[in-house]
Amino acid sequence: MTTHDTRGTRPRRRARALVAGVALATLVLGACGGTRPEGGATTVGVTDDSVKIGGHFPLTGVAAPGYSEIPTGAKAYYDYVNAAGGVNGRTIDYLVRDDGYDPTKTSTVTNELVLKEKIFAMVGGLGTPTHGAVVDFLNDEEVPDLFVSSGSLAWGEDPAEKPWTFGWQTDYESEGKVIGQYVAKNFPDAKVGLFLQDDDLGADGEKGLQQYIGDQVVETVRYTSGNTDVAPQISALQSSGADLVIGFNTPSYTALSQLTSLKLGFKPQWFYTNVGSDATLVGSLLSRFSEGAVKGGASSLDGVLTTKYLDTVDDADSEWIKLWKKVWEQEGDDQPLTNYRVYGMAQAYTFVQALQAAGKDLTRQGIVDALEEQGGDFEGPMVAPFAYSKDSHMGTTGMRVASLDGAKVVPETEVEVTEIGDNPIEPDTSDAGKDAPPASGIPGQD
Amino acid sequence: MQQLLNTALGGLTLGMVYAAFALALVLIWRSTRIVNFAQAPMAMLTTFVALTVIDAGYSYWIGFVVALLAGLALGAVIERFVVRHVEGGPEINAVILTLGLFIVLHALASVVFGNRYRSFPAPFGIRGIEVGETTIGLTGFGIFTVVAVLVVMGLLVALFRFTDVGLRMRASAFNPEVARLLGVKVGRMLTLGWALAALVGSLAALLIAGGSLVHPGYMDSIVVYGFVAAVLGGLDSPLGAVVGGLLLGLSLSFVSGYLGSELVALAALGILMAVLLLRPGGLFAQAQERRV
Repeated sequence: MTTHDTRGTRPRRRARALVAGVALATLVLGACGGTRPEGGATTVGVTDDSVKIGGHFPLTGVAAPGYSEIPTGAKAYYDYVNAAGGVNGRTIDYLVRDDGYDPTKTSTVTNELVLKEKIFAMVGGLGTPTHGAVVDFLNDEEVPDLFVSSGSLAWGEDPAEKPWTFGWQTDYESEGKVIGQYVAKNFPDAKVGLFLQDDDLGADGEKGLQQYIGDQVVETVRYTSGNTDVAPQISALQSSGADLVIGFNTPSYTALSQLTSLKLGFKPQWFYTNVGSDATLVGSLLSRFSEGAVKGGASSLDGVLTTKYLDTVDDADSEWIKLWKKVWEQEGDDQPLTNYRVYGMAQAYTFVQALQAAGKDLTRQGIVDALEEQGGDFEGPMVAPFAYSKDSHMGTTGMRVASLDGAKVVPETEVEVTEIGDNPIEPDTSDAGKDAPPASGIPGQD
Repeated sequence: MQQLLNTALGGLTLGMVYAAFALALVLIWRSTRIVNFAQAPMAMLTTFVALTVIDAGYSYWIGFVVALLAGLALGAVIERFVVRHVEGGPEINAVILTLGLFIVLHALASVVFGNRYRSFPAPFGIRGIEVGETTIGLTGFGIFTVVAVLVVMGLLVALFRFTDVGLRMRASAFNPEVARLLGVKVGRMLTLGWALAALVGSLAALLIAGGSLVHPGYMDSIVVYGFVAAVLGGLDSPLGAVVGGLLLGLSLSFVSGYLGSELVALAALGILMAVLLLRPGGLFAQAQERRV
């Protein structure tokens, strides 16, 4: 260091040493604050009366419509459980960070959650490209990475490689198989076009579809998320003569593909993945074009086919929906209950089950072991059981085909379960779809 | 055949929007010798103003005019109070400042208008025109886009070539000191240049928003493509900007339709590099004799 001011050097140096000393002392004291007097090893993010978890979600940007509501649903359910005393005496402290669906930001916020906030586990981190950017980091740091909000195969197909990561929703390949089988059976003469997002969502879905309708596909187009001009893709589908188009895409692109088809006069039977088919959300995006061109609101997707693995808000008789409504009334904000909030609550429900299964002495390894041993038997809101075991960290194994009628998602088939690869599709015999929530709304408590 | 036609028509409308945006960049370049990277968020802000007006129950056209006026005012205000301080200094200062404005305006829009996708109405039908049995991929709004951009291009050519104000604007941009000595109020010309450019930018934003979805980042790719179009045509020429925009729109539409949408951004980069290597002044560059 060069300085022109020699007079002040000595006292300044002394001051600096003092600051350093204080900082060091604070660090040491801070570190001491984290250890338990009994001498038992502590688990990061866990105290006697709380457990801290985090998640990354697109609260802003292209993917925000719909998806940004998921953490609000989860938060409401955690608050509901906390109000009843938490799990094993611990309240759940849930931190949500915005990554704008940008993998670079996902890395930043995940670093912050893991290293600075010191969360016990990542729960429900959303998105294939985004979570893909942090999954190795979480496994290297040995942070439980539970219930990724994405149906990519990457989360659960190889537990040896990613021992800390678990999927949750039905994976896209299994969904592709269920859709493919339905189309082969009910539309054997259809010329099928595929409208795919150019990442795992499209690729995994296509892998499943090919097993059943590989010979019916006449054209496959891919769009890049972020490029809102899909006219060249829809135009290619139209000129191929496709009369049934299966879309593995996000909700914004359901709206865009509908708008573009209107512009080009293309009228196939549409079949969207569960991910892209929320009629209320797509309808609200299309509502402004209602003057004569598109039917307003949710009915703009009437007759479109999709799949379903959770009860939706309009299933008025569902015991689960009654519970979610109660939770949302008690803990939610003034916004309406949506299917995305239901998704968040259902996911939070599974996490509470995992916490209970891991027992009073909560450790990171403990919750992973508990999921592998007991996760397959969890009774919850999903229509099919989870695949969790030592050999698989894939999420729920089944779904049913449904059609859209206004905001209603009307079942067309019974629940069918399958596993990834060329495993067959079978009717579900577990009766998971008939599970009812306990009266208290908290797993295992009446 | 139908696909070829529809891809071409899609490219045409999209190209016209790039052209409009390139026109705005050309306008600022001709009148101030600055490349304005904040053009996209400025234009985006004005579409949100239009959306607010329309949401309040007024007609599309009132929203349209209000947005254009807002663009005019925003351009003037930003030039007079922000950019003025770096004019005449090193060019890089102005570039960095406009990049900074880009970020600030983005954040401002997110705070004020929210960050979700919203649909933006169109004044004409968004169904394709039906010719006999088939529907072709050109909507009433698409035709409006083409006409509007051609009219604006004509007006700009006329402004710079035939009017006194246009001459004074060019003089202030090329040599502020000499222009000042000759009695041109240089400051006022610079403000006018920015205001007009922002107005054209707003028009581009309204044209691409019509019948589609908007959010604070929706213009970001357009600024890149508009910039490529402007360079393609030569930053100095309004006609060049329109031709550049059209060429780019058509090329990118065909790349997307026949090669794959993941290659669109790469193709734009390829075109930009090819132009800079082969004809650095752009396709419509003026003769170089001015550089003495």
